[in-house]
Amino acid sequence: MLRYYFMLGLRNLRRNPVLTGLMVLTLTVGVAASISTLTILHMMSGNPIPDKSSRLFVPLVDNGPLDGYIPGQLPHDSQLSYRDASNFLQGGPGVRRTAVVGVTGAIEQSRADLGTVEADGLATTSDYFPMFDVPFLRGAAWAPAQDKSTANVVVLSRRMSEKIFGAQDPVGKHIRLFNNDFEVVGVLGNWNPMPRYTHLINGNGGNFAGQDDIFIPFQTAIRLHTGTSGSMTCNGPSAPGYQGFLDSECTWIQFWFEMKSAVERSTLQDYLDSYTREQRKFSRFARQNINHLYDVMEWMDHLHVVSDDGRVSTWLAFGFLMLCLVNTIGLLLAKFSVRAGEVGVRRALGASRAEIFKQFLTEAAVVGLAGGLLGLLLSTGALWLLARQSERYAALAHMDWSMLLLTFALAVLSSIVAGLLPTWRACQVTPALQLKSQ
Amino acid sequence: MEIRPILSILLRNKIAPLLVALQVAISLAVLTNALYIVTLRYEAANRPSGVADESAMFMIHLSPVTKPAFADIMAQQQRDRETLAALPGVASVAWVNQMAMSQSGWNTVVATERTQPQPTAPAAQYLSSDSLVKTLGLELVEGRDFNAEDIEEVDMDQADPKMKQVIVTQALAQALYPGAASVVGRKMFFGTGADADESQIVGVVRRLQTPGAATGKRGEYSVIVPVRTSIPAAQFVVRADPAQRDRIMRDAETALRKITPYPVIVKVKSLDAIRADRYRDDRTLAWMLVAVSALLLLVTASGIVGMTMLWISQRRKQIGVRRALGARRVDILRYFITENLLITTGGIVAGLILAVGLNQFLVAQLEMSKMPIGYLAAGSGLLWLLGVFAVFGPARRASAISPAIATRAA
Repeated sequence: MLRYYFMLGLRNLRRNPVLTGLMVLTLTVGVAASISTLTILHMMSGNPIPDKSSRLFVPLVDNGPLDGYIPGQLPHDSQLSYRDASNFLQGGPGVRRTAVVGVTGAIEQSRADLGTVEADGLATTSDYFPMFDVPFLRGAAWAPAQDKSTANVVVLSRRMSEKIFGAQDPVGKHIRLFNNDFEVVGVLGNWNPMPRYTHLINGNGGNFAGQDDIFIPFQTAIRLHTGTSGSMTCNGPSAPGYQGFLDSECTWIQFWFEMKSAVERSTLQDYLDSYTREQRKFSRFARQNINHLYDVMEWMDHLHVVSDDGRVSTWLAFGFLMLCLVNTIGLLLAKFSVRAGEVGVRRALGASRAEIFKQFLTEAAVVGLAGGLLGLLLSTGALWLLARQSERYAALAHMDWSMLLLTFALAVLSSIVAGLLPTWRACQVTPALQLKSQ
Repeated sequence: MEIRPILSILLRNKIAPLLVALQVAISLAVLTNALYIVTLRYEAANRPSGVADESAMFMIHLSPVTKPAFADIMAQQQRDRETLAALPGVASVAWVNQMAMSQSGWNTVVATERTQPQPTAPAAQYLSSDSLVKTLGLELVEGRDFNAEDIEEVDMDQADPKMKQVIVTQALAQALYPGAASVVGRKMFFGTGADADESQIVGVVRRLQTPGAATGKRGEYSVIVPVRTSIPAAQFVVRADPAQRDRIMRDAETALRKITPYPVIVKVKSLDAIRADRYRDDRTLAWMLVAVSALLLLVTASGIVGMTMLWISQRRKQIGVRRALGARRVDILRYFITENLLITTGGIVAGLILAVGLNQFLVAQLEMSKMPIGYLAAGSGLLWLLGVFAVFGPARRASAISPAIATRAA
C-alpha cells in the first residue's frame, strides 16, 4: 500500500503546481543553506583519524616563567622546548613518539634555468609515518637509525615528486635542499589530512589549506639549523648562538605520543608528572602547573580549529531551515485542506484514519524527496561558489557521502515533521459531512 | 473599528495565522542578527590601517635558499634598497620586518614598569632601518621620527637588539599611560622582570595596525624599533606611483633577482592584496549571510502570499455577502491588510524577543557585542512593509470578488 501511496504522492506533485512548487522550493532553499554550512562545519570538526584518535596524545608542560603566573591558568604556549621534546623522544613511554616542526626550504633543480621550487614541509622522526597511517606510493620512511645519524634523507609528497621528477621514480635520487644533498627515500601517496591535525600550529596555510611537501629527519633539521616556519614563543633568557637557543625555554616544537590504548593515558600522565618533578631539580618548571594531555579531538578543540564563523553560519542556516519548515507546514495545510472531499470518500469506503494518515504523510515525504534532490543540486552549487572564495574554503567545501545522505534525510525528515500537523487535520475530516455537501 | 471582528475570526481559526506570525518572528530574529554580523564584519574590514594611500604600496620579500653570512645579507640589503629606490616611479622604500594586516609577524609584550606582575599589553614589534613614518605615511601626533643615528644593526644570532628608543601608536600609548596628555620621553619595557629591555618613547603615531589586525584596540598595539637585522633576509615596503604600481612591482622583482648573487625566492604582493587576504573569510561570511537574509525574506513573503490566498479562497462566500450588504471594494482590501498587519505585529513582537535571545546566545558563544536597538527597529519596519506588500496582491483579488457570489448556493 505504501508503494501505491508513494505513486499517488508523485502524481499529486502535479496538482496545485504553484503551491507544490513553492513548497519544494522552500524546502530546497532551506536544506541547501543548512547543508552547505554544515558541510563546512563537518569538514572543520571531522575526526581525521577515527581509529586512533583516542590514543594519540599531545603533551603540554608549562615551562613559562614564574613572573606573572596565575595558578590555574593554561600553559603559556601550546608547543614544547627542544629540551623537553628531545627528552620525550629519548625516554618517553608509548608505542611511538614523534616531534614535529615546520620547515620551509627551497629545492634547487638540477638545471639552473628551471629555478628553485619553494617547499613547505616538516622535520619529524621516522615514527611520524606509521603513527599517522601515512601511505607511501614509492619507497618508505627513513630508518630509525637514520634519525640518530642525522642522515640527509627526504620523503616527498606526491605532488612535489611529480613537480620535480615528473613520472619518474625519484627514490634513490638526490636533490639540493638547505644547501645539502638529500637522498629521496620515499614518496607519499595522496595524503593531506583535514584538518591538518598533525601540525596545526604551522606557518604555511593554517588548519585546512596548504600541504606538507617535504619531510626530513628532526635531528637533521637541528644539525642544519633550519629553524621553524611556524610560531615560536620565548619567555625567558637564552644564551647566544644556536646551542643557546636549543638549551633555552623557547617553545616551538609539537609533540605526539602514541599509546597502545586510550586506557594508557594515565601511564602517560604519570610519566609527565614524574618528568617535571625530576626536571625541577634543574630549577625548571617553576610554575608547578598541571601537565596537560590532549587526544586528537581534544587537541583540535584546544586550538579552536572550528572557527566562530563556521558556527555562526551553521546556527543561522538552521534558523533559516526552521523558517522554511514553518512555511512548508502552512503550504501543506493549504494543499491538504482542499482535499477534504477525497478524504471523505476514502473514509466512507472503509479506509481507517491510520490509512489516511499514512497516505498524506507519504505525500509529504515525496515533497521532501523532491526538495532533497533539488537541495543537493543547489548546495553543490553553493559549495562550488564558496570554494572559489578562498584557499581555506576550497579545502573545506567538499561534500562527502555522509553529507549526501544527510541532505536527503534532512529534507525528508523536515517534510515529514512539517506534514504531521496538516496530516492530522486531514484525518479529522468527518466523512458524512463531506459526502453530504457534494 | 474593524479590529474586533477581525480578531474574533483570527481567534476562531488559530493555526494558519499562528504559522504566519511564527514565520515573521523567525525571520526577524535571523535577519537582524545576520545583518548585525554583516555590519560588524564590514566595519572591521574597513578600519584604516594607518598607512596613507594603500593602493600605492607593495611589499617585496626575498628569502635566500640557504642562509648567507650576516655581513653578506646586510650588504645585499643595502644594494637591494638602493636598486629599489632607483626604479622609476618609486617614491619611497623602507626595510621592515612585517606589514600591517599581513597575518604573520613579530609579537612582544610591553609594560609600564619593570616590577609589574603582568605585562600591560601585547604589541606587534615593527623593526625598520628607514623612516616608516615617511614611507607608510603615518601621522606623527607627538614627538619625532627616528634619525640615522638611532638605527641599530644587530646580528640576532649573536645578540639581542637594545631597543633604546621606540615609536608607539596612540592606542598603545593610551594602554601604557591611560589618560596621559603626553607620553614622549616616558619609559616603556619589553616584558617584565629584571631582564626586560628598557626603552624611551620618542614619538607617537596616530595609527598603525598590527599584522594580525585584530578587532578592537588590540589591533593597533604596535611599537616601532629602529633596528636593522638579517632576519628576515630582506623585506621591503615600497611606495610607488599608484597608476604604475603593477608594472613597478614586476620591475622590482626582475631587478632584485638580477642583483642577488645567491639563489633566492622572491615574493611580491600589493598592500591591497594583503588587505583582501586578511578579510577574505569575513567577506565570504558576509555574502553568505546576505544571501541567506534575502532568501529568508523571499520565503516569508511567499508564505504570506500562500496563506492569504488560501484564506481568501475559503472565504469567498463571506466576502460576497459583505459586498452584497454594501461593503465597498476598498473595505475588503482594508480588511485583509488590517488582518495581515495584526498577524505581522504579533509575529514581530515574538520576533523581537527571539532576536534578543539569539543575540544573547551569540554574545555568550562568540566574541561579539550586543546588537543595538536600531537593528530591531529597522528589521521590524522591514517586515511590516514586507507583510503589506505581500498581502496586497491577494487582497486586491479578494476585493474583486463579485457580490453575486452571495446569492449562489454553496
